[in-house]
Amino acid sequence: MKTMAEELFKEFREHSVSEFFRKNAAMLGYTGKIRSLTTIIHEGVTNAIDAAEETGVLPKIVVIIKRFDEEPEHFRVIIEDNASGIPEEFIPNVFGKMLAGTKLHRYMQSRGQQGIGVSGSVMFGQITSGKPATVITSTGNGDIIRADVMIDVDRNEGKITNVEKHKGKWRGTRVEVEVKDVTYMRSRYGPFNYLRMTAIANPHVHITFVEPDGTLTILESATDKVPERPKPMPLHPWGIMSDDLLILAKHTKSRNVVSFLSAELSRVSKRKAEEVCKLASVPPKKKPSELTWEEAERIVSAFKQVKLYAPPTSGLRPIGAADIESGMRQILNPEFVYAINRPPKVYRGGLPFIVEAGIAYGGSAGKTTDRKNENEEGEAGMELIRFANRAPLIFDQGGCAITTAMRNIDWRRYGVDPAAAQLTLFVNVASAYVPYTSAGKQSIADEPEVLDEIRTAIMEVARELRKFLYRKIKIKERQERAGVFEQHLPIIAKKAASLANVKEPDIKPLLKKVSGVDNAEEES
Amino acid sequence: MPKKKVKMARERGHRQKASRKLTEMGQDVVNDIKNVCPPKLKIPSRSTSNIIYDEVHRYFVLGPRWGVRSAGSMKQVKKFAQLLCTADFAKELIKQGKFATLREMYYTAEGWEVGPFYDQGESDGIIEDLEAAFGLKREDLGLTPEEDGAAVYGKLVVNEDGVVIDATKAGRAGYTIPPTIDDVEFLKCKAKRVIAVETMGMYHRLVQEQAWKKFDSLIVGLKGQAARATRRFLKRANEELGLPVYLNCDGDPFGFHIAMVIISGSAKLAYINHELAVPDAKYLGVTASDIVNYKLPTDKLRELDIARLKQLQKDPRYNTKFWQSEIKKMLELGRKAEQQAFAKYGLAYVVKEYMPAKLKEVEEQEFLGR
Repeated sequence: MKTMAEELFKEFREHSVSEFFRKNAAMLGYTGKIRSLTTIIHEGVTNAIDAAEETGVLPKIVVIIKRFDEEPEHFRVIIEDNASGIPEEFIPNVFGKMLAGTKLHRYMQSRGQQGIGVSGSVMFGQITSGKPATVITSTGNGDIIRADVMIDVDRNEGKITNVEKHKGKWRGTRVEVEVKDVTYMRSRYGPFNYLRMTAIANPHVHITFVEPDGTLTILESATDKVPERPKPMPLHPWGIMSDDLLILAKHTKSRNVVSFLSAELSRVSKRKAEEVCKLASVPPKKKPSELTWEEAERIVSAFKQVKLYAPPTSGLRPIGAADIESGMRQILNPEFVYAINRPPKVYRGGLPFIVEAGIAYGGSAGKTTDRKNENEEGEAGMELIRFANRAPLIFDQGGCAITTAMRNIDWRRYGVDPAAAQLTLFVNVASAYVPYTSAGKQSIADEPEVLDEIRTAIMEVARELRKFLYRKIKIKERQERAGVFEQHLPIIAKKAASLANVKEPDIKPLLKKVSGVDNAEEES
Repeated sequence: MPKKKVKMARERGHRQKASRKLTEMGQDVVNDIKNVCPPKLKIPSRSTSNIIYDEVHRYFVLGPRWGVRSAGSMKQVKKFAQLLCTADFAKELIKQGKFATLREMYYTAEGWEVGPFYDQGESDGIIEDLEAAFGLKREDLGLTPEEDGAAVYGKLVVNEDGVVIDATKAGRAGYTIPPTIDDVEFLKCKAKRVIAVETMGMYHRLVQEQAWKKFDSLIVGLKGQAARATRRFLKRANEELGLPVYLNCDGDPFGFHIAMVIISGSAKLAYINHELAVPDAKYLGVTASDIVNYKLPTDKLRELDIARLKQLQKDPRYNTKFWQSEIKKMLELGRKAEQQAFAKYGLAYVVKEYMPAKLKEVEEQEFLGR
């Protein structure tokens, strides 16, 4: 006999994807007027960069946000890439089918784990403006396809409502989404900062950005090397959460829970799967697609009670110190920049991760008030930019382990006043198992090993900064010192000569001598 | 008169000595620069911990500690330059026989290459450095304080820049002691003692009652805390003219201290007390005993007075039988009295009765003491 929950879940799955979307809007990033717009940009840009990287070209992304006249909360968002383009028959599926992206069932250390991909943006646009999304794409074969795409919410399917073809030599994809009920702002949470952070963490990406007021910003790429793509690999049970498990269950080809668990997860044998089912009181022969949320939760906790091999560490893909430095140098134009990547570590007994940190001083580093906007918060001082697998973490800063680690450091020891320093601190946590605090995936949990490692990484870059600042002070002091003597010794020589009624002595040898070391004597 | 010529030579000498010392300093600095060695100047430390009461001389002196002002120190080079600028300015003043006030010198520095002083405190500090370094008075350097000294009345004739002044013929206010008292020559003195009084009210009383004639005395009006010029005058009267100096102040801790600064010098000017203190000056009154003996009208001691008296009890300068018993007595009485309280018995009483009695007391004591 089926439980009530099973009935409800089945209904929910089959009948209303739009309801699923609405109910999970917060989890998917579509909450708040500023954040929703940033999420649309995020989904589009993430897709665009991934697509270009998979094509093997350096990503060149164009982002345009246009405001409809006299409608402050009505925009057209345009995101264009230079990737392979999409064959016509795939357009409905790529843009129109919810929960059908390539990443949902292919777990790897990728930027795009959060959200539900570009179809979410299409859905959001459709709900708020009632208009279809426009996709312009070409695989470079001379045909440019222009298609309007809508989501058929009853069938959870993409539907092309209008299609045109043109001749032209171009390759890439351009998505245009019309949205309402969102706000454009140049705040920390807005698209501008999102793109700026993306550019820092992805120095191989070239971004052109046009804001609603027409301001053009070009974030140049700093390297011409496409980073190595992370390899897809199965998730390890230590790193999964109930929703991960349910999404996997919906896409698996396995017919029962035991074979599902051993096939889709890393380091899980049939015997272990059976053991877990027993512990979790889940029938081993149950269809994976019929798993309930409660069962999924029980399975996740049962995995913690059985012995498993730790996941392999080979799949980690950090950005690399050199790329972080060039990214920061390119975007922030700092006086000093330094980055490190730490060796791989594990948390929860075996989940591998790598922490990378970078620090930039001077130039346009730090929170600034001149980022041109009437809505600008009057901020100054040290800026923290957080990343997980290169993806900017914009929201929930307060609850993030990176923030905690930064606050736990006595910055004065490094010669830094956090309230005033022109400083940008960069932290990236790379892992297929980033311990997010919540499904919103905007902050990292305080896992002791992760927190400790972040702290160590920050202190390591801060130490280099201290050396730099110390040298800077020393040089300044030496210059000041020389200046003080150059100013006063000639006066002393002149006045002494006048007192003694003799010729003025040559002060150059003495000046040279005293400008170096201080030979003041204290009171004896 | 040969005696007069010796005196004249002495008077010019102190400024010439100052000029010579400044020249020597300049030469030392030039030599150091030539030898590629940062010029240095040893300056006795003027910090409180280096101010010591000298039991033998009975005034404050500087202790053995000294500091070095070095042109090779980043922190001190500016001060060193300022010091040389000040020295050069002083030497020029001496050469031209001019005087400038401390305030004028502070403003003069506005035009100096080394830049203006931050405040007059800074320029005064430099002058004190020079005074302490060479044991010279600022007056020797051609620099004078703002205020004039006090007034003198009595049988004294002085030569001030060629003008001969008789202190009995300078009007009722008497002869005003100039800040440059060291350039003044004592031509003739028929007085046998000096009586200095705290207030000008008392000064005028003594002049009117012809106390100067009656006691063969110079009357000096201190105008409160004695100016450097006044103290210098008293010192010279005591040393050059051989006159005993008597002090008459209000019978309260502040009056006591006006007298004591003349006798034993102040701690602040410890580096120059050998030129200022008059250790043999005697305090006549008003004492606590006078308050009792003369049944003077009194005021109650304020808290401030009591605190000050208690401070004085511990001050090494008051460490004599006389002062300790008078301070103790005043604290017991809880009362104080002004000099002019004697007017209770009539205006002339102080000259007719009080002063003669007191003078008899001290001079006999003095006499018997020898």
